[in-house]
Amino acid sequence: MLDLLFNMTDWLRTTFLLDFSFWLTETSLSLFMVENFWNVPIAQVIHIVSIALAFASLLMLTLRVNEKAGTTLSISANAARYLPWMWWGLAGIVISGLLMITAEPIRNMVNAVFWIKMVLLAVAMVLSISFQKAVKAKAIAAGDAYVASSGTRTTGIALVVLWCFIMLCGRWIAYVPV
Amino acid sequence: MYPEPTNIWQAIEYSPLGIGIAESLWAFPMIETVHVIALVTVFGTIAIMDLRMLGLASTNVPITRMSNDTLKWTWIGFVTAAITGTLLFASKASTYMVNPFFLTKMGIMALAGLNMLIFHFVTYKTVDQWDNATSPPTAVKVAGLLSILMWLVIVFCGRAIGFTLGIYLPETGF
Repeated sequence: MLDLLFNMTDWLRTTFLLDFSFWLTETSLSLFMVENFWNVPIAQVIHIVSIALAFASLLMLTLRVNEKAGTTLSISANAARYLPWMWWGLAGIVISGLLMITAEPIRNMVNAVFWIKMVLLAVAMVLSISFQKAVKAKAIAAGDAYVASSGTRTTGIALVVLWCFIMLCGRWIAYVPV
Repeated sequence: MYPEPTNIWQAIEYSPLGIGIAESLWAFPMIETVHVIALVTVFGTIAIMDLRMLGLASTNVPITRMSNDTLKWTWIGFVTAAITGTLLFASKASTYMVNPFFLTKMGIMALAGLNMLIFHFVTYKTVDQWDNATSPPTAVKVAGLLSILMWLVIVFCGRAIGFTLGIYLPETGF
């Protein structure tokens, strides 16, 4: 596993990402991010808080489709409460994440774990869109008595697990040698 | 190999558990990963409850129901974060004990706990009167606002610790 990560990172070093990272390091935004001691930690706090808002919203919605929480309201009403927080949370994650990449381009982009995380994130996005259809459009069409299918229930749980792996990668970006 | 401990924090740090975590390549990052997953669960579920208490979201859900739905996840997350946090602490106990962000984090967590106790054992007694209120009484809103603000500071301090570990450590020659 470790060999595979090393080989992937070695390969990343041969791509345009290396030059792109060096170029990014010289930009004024990158310099701004590293010149003030607190900019990177603050970006990370925004990143964590955004993850918390999106992750807990996903958790509550998954619990609702599995009938374990939020049963005072219909699935579509729960979706109306939590879906916007998932997507706005994601917006916060992406913006703070881009700032963190800009601050330390090589540490992130010439790093196998970072790209594994991006692939997992892309999979999570595709699954989220199908999950959103099931808890929103389908739920509204079926009315308040709508009960989620086993596929939707499983998709919710899969998304929660996937986000845990995304957080695992997020932490390991800092620890794998590059 | 390790110096003789001269205080309780060094004794923890130089215990087999502390040394084991500090010397392992994967233990600290793995425990930290579980800590992160636990703390986002704590912060996220607390935020959902606080927003309800502030009358800013989920106003169509009774406060007792919202508490039922979120509180068990907050506790599961908190216990997990406390266990993993203790393990992380054991690996660098004396470094953490001189770090002002660590000490501030512990102090504010105690205050957040106190805020929660006052809310659940004093303010909550009259919940029948405001369970369905779109805009709950001021005491409830204040508890919700204090809670979200204190947890934000706790998250900030947690991240700040990682950036200031070496700064406050006195010269030990070790």
